[in-house]
Amino acid sequence: MDTLQVIKNSAAHLSPAIALLIGGSLLMCASIFFRSGVKRDVHNQRNLFAVLSMVTLVVAVLLSFYRGTPQLDKYDVGLFRFDSGALAAERLAFLGGFILILMSWSTAPATRLCEYYGCLLVMLSAIPIVGASNDLVSLFLGLELLSIPTYVMLGIVKTDNTGAEAALKYFMLSAFASCFFLLGLSYLYGVVGSTNLTVIQSDYDNGKRLMALALLLVMCGLSFRITAVPFHFYAPDVFDGTTVTLAGIMSYLPKVAGFVALVRLIGTGGLGESASSVIIPVLLTCAAITMCVGNFLATAQNNLRRLLAYSSVAHTGYLLLALVALVRQDADANVLYSYLAAYAAMTLGMFACLGEIEAAGGNSHLIGDLTGMFYRRPAATIGLTVSLISLIGLPLTAGFWAKFMVFAGIVADNRAGSWSIFMAVLMAFNAVIAAGYYWRVLSTLFEKNAAKTPLRVFRPSLFFAYTICTVLTIVWFFVPAIMR
Amino acid sequence: MNYLLPSLILVPLAASVVILLLGNNRGKAMVPVGVVASIITLLLSIALVFQVHNAPAAEGSGTIAPKILFEPQALSIALPISVAKQPVRWQLILGADGISALLVLLTGIIGCFTIVLATKQIETRTSQYIALMLASISMLMGVFVSMDLVSFYVFFEAVLIPLILLINGWGNGENPLSASRKFLLFTLAGSIPMVIGLIALAMAPAASGQPSTISFMELSKLAAETPIHGSNWVVWLLLLGFGIKLAILPLHTWLPTTYAAAHPNTTSLIASVVAKLGLYGIIRIVIPLTSHSLITEAQLLIGALGAIAIVYGALVALSKSNLREVLAYSSLSHVGFITLGLMSLNSEGLSGATLQMFNHGLITASMFWILAMLEQRRGPVSLATENQGLAGQYPKLAVLLVFFTLAGAGLPGLNGFVGELLAMSGMMRVSGTIVTIAVLGTVLGAWYALRIVQRVLFGGNGNGQHHGHHHAHHQPEMSTALDLRPLEWQPLVVVAFLCLYIGVLPQRSMKLFQADTDRISKVTEPAVKAAHPNTDQLVSK
Repeated sequence: MDTLQVIKNSAAHLSPAIALLIGGSLLMCASIFFRSGVKRDVHNQRNLFAVLSMVTLVVAVLLSFYRGTPQLDKYDVGLFRFDSGALAAERLAFLGGFILILMSWSTAPATRLCEYYGCLLVMLSAIPIVGASNDLVSLFLGLELLSIPTYVMLGIVKTDNTGAEAALKYFMLSAFASCFFLLGLSYLYGVVGSTNLTVIQSDYDNGKRLMALALLLVMCGLSFRITAVPFHFYAPDVFDGTTVTLAGIMSYLPKVAGFVALVRLIGTGGLGESASSVIIPVLLTCAAITMCVGNFLATAQNNLRRLLAYSSVAHTGYLLLALVALVRQDADANVLYSYLAAYAAMTLGMFACLGEIEAAGGNSHLIGDLTGMFYRRPAATIGLTVSLISLIGLPLTAGFWAKFMVFAGIVADNRAGSWSIFMAVLMAFNAVIAAGYYWRVLSTLFEKNAAKTPLRVFRPSLFFAYTICTVLTIVWFFVPAIMR
Repeated sequence: MNYLLPSLILVPLAASVVILLLGNNRGKAMVPVGVVASIITLLLSIALVFQVHNAPAAEGSGTIAPKILFEPQALSIALPISVAKQPVRWQLILGADGISALLVLLTGIIGCFTIVLATKQIETRTSQYIALMLASISMLMGVFVSMDLVSFYVFFEAVLIPLILLINGWGNGENPLSASRKFLLFTLAGSIPMVIGLIALAMAPAASGQPSTISFMELSKLAAETPIHGSNWVVWLLLLGFGIKLAILPLHTWLPTTYAAAHPNTTSLIASVVAKLGLYGIIRIVIPLTSHSLITEAQLLIGALGAIAIVYGALVALSKSNLREVLAYSSLSHVGFITLGLMSLNSEGLSGATLQMFNHGLITASMFWILAMLEQRRGPVSLATENQGLAGQYPKLAVLLVFFTLAGAGLPGLNGFVGELLAMSGMMRVSGTIVTIAVLGTVLGAWYALRIVQRVLFGGNGNGQHHGHHHAHHQPEMSTALDLRPLEWQPLVVVAFLCLYIGVLPQRSMKLFQADTDRISKVTEPAVKAAHPNTDQLVSK
């Protein structure tokens, strides 16, 4: 196949990502033409930009339907490869994008609407690019396409001290992590002599110790995106220092991108004996420490945002266990993707509920602020309840299948002398610890409160956001097959 | 294809959803819907018992062979992953053998009467209370008729959600919030590790090249064919999960806190049916599917823990004065007999334990209903003050309380005697030492039972003349009007007749499940003999 044909096909298959990228760039340019002074009509502008980004997203979704059936695994010579993983990443981006735009509708910063939505769309476009990338260059490009708008977003949504701290902290640590990532990529290139992932993967089993080092460095870089310990330190400060909506974005999009990139790099199987003997113990240790640290520190929190940040860290630990099952080829990559989809529904649903409570004039910063919220804002409380039950992992919610599938993937490895069963039991006990602090939040919602002033301000967009999340959380329990 | 089984789950669930959606906060308008739904559920469960009783003996070489089955191909839910190169499917299988039918009947009776009594007991948000009760009944029915691992686990976990809401929302004891948290965390600490064991069970056939399965029938067939099936750690994870649910001794601390905090009407369901989930799990999953590792590793330990629970529960019940706590520990003590019977793994022990599950459910629930009625009239009931003489004031209640206390203490002619005797004679063939400890417990059991009767019912004239702090609230002329109303004593009398029937004609009631327990013991009994050749000495001499 000639190069031109490869480029044409790649462009066709990447068309949703390209549409999001172009839409995002146009929105950023649009800031020149819109009045930003006091006289402008903020309300109209909010609606306009939210509708525009929603339209871009819908165009991207339609393009993904009309680009023709991707001929899977055919174009693996170029920068991109379109397999089921690429499609799953795209769907995760669409799912998240839809909810996040709804959440942003009334919470985006009034003075920087164009930049905000532009950055959001660019971030969304990054995930299909990472998911389809078949080359170190496109992989790095995709990941930077995600993180650079994040710096901007953190800087513009909140301009007080905590916001500035969050933005600076994220920027510095993210740049640091990117350095690790690049160093790892350079080693990979040095060992194999090619930047193409297919070529690199066929060379994994060459027995060179440097290969393991290179992969470890790459994993360090990606650990920052997925908030794995010891690269998690920014998460509580950033979640705490920014708005609810952006905390929701930060808990979802970087994690998806990081895990999709990890699947691309080490999850496709064929990790040879020498490399996997280093990688799997590291992943297991990292998973164990990540979930324990996340859960134990979350137990100690009174600040709800920090609690959610540590809970996000703990979920990374569970996902890392799923990644181990994937690397061992005991489970397929859907174990990760469907966990991420369930995670999107429950975590974004939770942030949307908190956002609605704040938008309606309530406070949701500390757990105690939510006391008696059931009597003040019943709808949002029901959304929170479903999300929390799903986060605990009880049946009738998507979170149950998510954890169940990770357990199934881990237990499938039944080799003698393996740590898998121990890790599964450790994860089970972590889930119990997690149930403790989620239950603390849950029971606070229903406590009797002296001040029973109902919160009456109604934000349709946030209401729809968490209603969709709640419905998805429950429906996915009964029809888990569509969680792919 | 038997549609009785799904309707047992769906009828109460549908009623619960309808009440939650249509009922408002204060009104009792939806209460009749709940009562009718619970009566329909009871009738359905009675119909199930008759169907199972009359159905021809099931074929199948496994130790689990349900007589009626519901296995719709349409309800084969595909999970979006494949594990170990096999797609993961959840094929819903519902079925019932004698053991399931017995526990379904127990759930039906207790659920129906709890809801009927709740209409008088629960004053706030009655319709929501009844809706959550119906939801828990639906999930409990689901556990008892599940014939595959995933459905079993889903229902086993899902029952937690309505229960914590019931404990937390209507608890009128001390600190229901922390009690419900303790209940949730303890139960999850058992059940989440348990899922690992269940998954390992489902995947065990894959090790020998067969497709992995979640059906109890297939798994029990495999377990019977290949005796060394399932590695050792699986049985411990399963026992942890079920042991916490049945409050086996070192893991029992959630039980008294929960029973003391929840409304006694809620407690009657928890103590009689929910606590049975652990025992049912042992006889349904642990004994048939992991019998080999159970016999070699845990049989005597768990049996001994059961015996210790009998004595420990009785001693603590003797030392407590809050009647809720006394009943909680007495329930703990009586569950010990069932554990003992199960761990004997022979014909007498298993059938005795199964019968005793039903008996214990009836007796404990009735005790907590009576407690709820007493508390409604007198406030918290304490045994610290002697000679309360309530028999003079509430004669009907007194008769029923004496009856159920004696049934619980194991009076011959009542149902408690049959079950406990069979369980102990089963254990006798395994370990005489354990039975010796247990027999000690029966004496203590009679002691604390008589202590309840003596302190609460007799000694005074019920007007608090001996102890001053009641007479301000209760005038003598109210005494007859306060005795049980017809709607209150009728359910209790029905249960009392059941107790008497089982006590007098135990063989008739055991015919329902004897074939099923025998099928299990036919496999386990030789294995026990092989594993512990010296334990049977007492009998063979």
